Amino acid sequence: MTAIILQAINGLSLAALLFLLASGFTVTFGLMRVVNMAYGAYYLLGGYIGLSVMRTTGSFELAMLVGSVAIVILGFFVDRFLIRPIGSNHLAQVLLTVGVAFFIGEVCLAIWGGDSLKIQLPSYLRGSVELPGGIYYPKLRIALIAFGILTATSLWLLYHKTQIGAVVRAGVDDREMVNAIGINVDRLFVLVSAVASFLAGIAGVVGGAFLTLNPGAEWDILVLALVVVIVGGLGSLEGAVLGSIVVGLLDAYGRWLAPDFSYFVLFGPMAILLLFRPTGIFGKEH
Amino acid sequence: MNYRVVGIVVLAALLAAVPSVASEYWLVLFTQILIFGLLALSADLLLGHAGLFSLCHAAFFAVSAYTVAILQTRYGVSTIPASLAGLCMGTLLAAVFASAVRTRGVYFILITLAFGYIVWGVAYRWASFTGGDNGVTNVPAPALGGLQVVSKAHYYYFVLAVLAICLASYRILTTSPFGLALRGIKSSESRMRSLGYRVGAHLYVAFVISGFYASLAGVLYIYYNRFVNPVAASFPISVEAILMAIIGGTGTMLGPFIGSGIILILRNWVSGFFHYYTAVLGLIFIATVLWAPNGVMGLIRSWRSGNRGEGA
Repeated sequence: MTAIILQAINGLSLAALLFLLASGFTVTFGLMRVVNMAYGAYYLLGGYIGLSVMRTTGSFELAMLVGSVAIVILGFFVDRFLIRPIGSNHLAQVLLTVGVAFFIGEVCLAIWGGDSLKIQLPSYLRGSVELPGGIYYPKLRIALIAFGILTATSLWLLYHKTQIGAVVRAGVDDREMVNAIGINVDRLFVLVSAVASFLAGIAGVVGGAFLTLNPGAEWDILVLALVVVIVGGLGSLEGAVLGSIVVGLLDAYGRWLAPDFSYFVLFGPMAILLLFRPTGIFGKEH
Repeated sequence: MNYRVVGIVVLAALLAAVPSVASEYWLVLFTQILIFGLLALSADLLLGHAGLFSLCHAAFFAVSAYTVAILQTRYGVSTIPASLAGLCMGTLLAAVFASAVRTRGVYFILITLAFGYIVWGVAYRWASFTGGDNGVTNVPAPALGGLQVVSKAHYYYFVLAVLAICLASYRILTTSPFGLALRGIKSSESRMRSLGYRVGAHLYVAFVISGFYASLAGVLYIYYNRFVNPVAASFPISVEAILMAIIGGTGTMLGPFIGSGIILILRNWVSGFFHYYTAVLGLIFIATVLWAPNGVMGLIRSWRSGNRGEGA
């Protein structure tokens, strides 16, 4: 019984991490129909930058800030000078951003090497807390779940209760119309994309403390985030929340119950879902 | 038409002459180019003819390679039945993954990517059966009847012969009513549907055939490489196959092989003096998308028709 609960919390903490990455992917896709496969690489680079900051200054907050701001700047240039010129061709977008991800991955390998690295935690996040029922659990994971809930709530409020959110939602539904009534969707996209890059960078630093940073980690995390997005439906924030929880739990129980086939446990249900609902749970036709 | 016949004859003669003029290094590289060209060609059946961008072709490639390797090394099955089993397993997997044709556009891309990861994950994690990270090693040389194909030149000719059959069948397939229907679907799916074509069934069959060609490339690969590890099933292989098709020119038969040649020769050359080849590969992806989206064949075509820059 305890193990079942432990695995549930493990799954939810992974879900929180995945949500940070998947929410950015899904909203940028919804608004601009841009498929950016480089988010995994953004995550990894953000994590490595955070690692270096943490090593030199010892401040986890500063690591999160520098890691995510660096990714915001990188993301802006990739959007502006690489993705925008090629227009709305998904094939080209995927190839281009895969190229960007390969490049970033190799730069990381050249700078930080091929070993698995972990970000040192600040003292207040080390150790474990006792949950009701006598379960001891690492503080970091609890903090991560809380952070995920906080991010999801603030994104939801931003998306549904503010003027900017209303414009973004309108842009997701009908970009031409929003353009036609005098709102600069391109400029709006810069903002949304910056938020997405910011979340990817934060996810990298948090993920560097929670998982490990190593070459190839960018693809592992990206594929999980893509499954989140596929299951939840492209362009839907609610879908990203639900998808993260489903994927997080499936991954945790899969690794526990069938370690050899954990990928199968994860992707099998996704394939079956798609046979009945090709656009995911909350998705629309694109 | 005559130019084409002459071209094919000259090309065939040049390819047949490779073992007698080239050093062993180039011979091995050429064999590899032909095998990966076939993989790129199989992905291009979907991309160039049906307009579907699949990111899981390494899965069929790897499954057939693993099947052959495991049957040969662990159960002592001989070359021909092992190869046939490899082809069957790869094609069967394609018949399952072909369910992805229910989706289009981004969803198709992302789903095939996820499918590809299942196979990689199984190859990597199910270590007791697949050998995990080390893969399956010591695959014997292929033996056809009593004849062992040991020398590199013989294997090159064998690959060339298989390719000739493949290309002939590919040509028949793409010029058949079925192939034309695929092109119709690529241009306008709704029009083909309203004309009464069963679009879903056409795409499904195209996917399975494409998986068959990829499996064949896998069989040729395992006897070329003599070992297989999870890298064969990995995402970079799938996306590189697509890149090869695009660099060469999609929707053509020669294009994927040109692309395969460019990428593999470049890799061998760059790896000689630069440790971070994947970074170069990344730049090639970016450059191709930005400056040569129609590939080499597209450049040739626009040069021949005299209107540069417009592309095909």
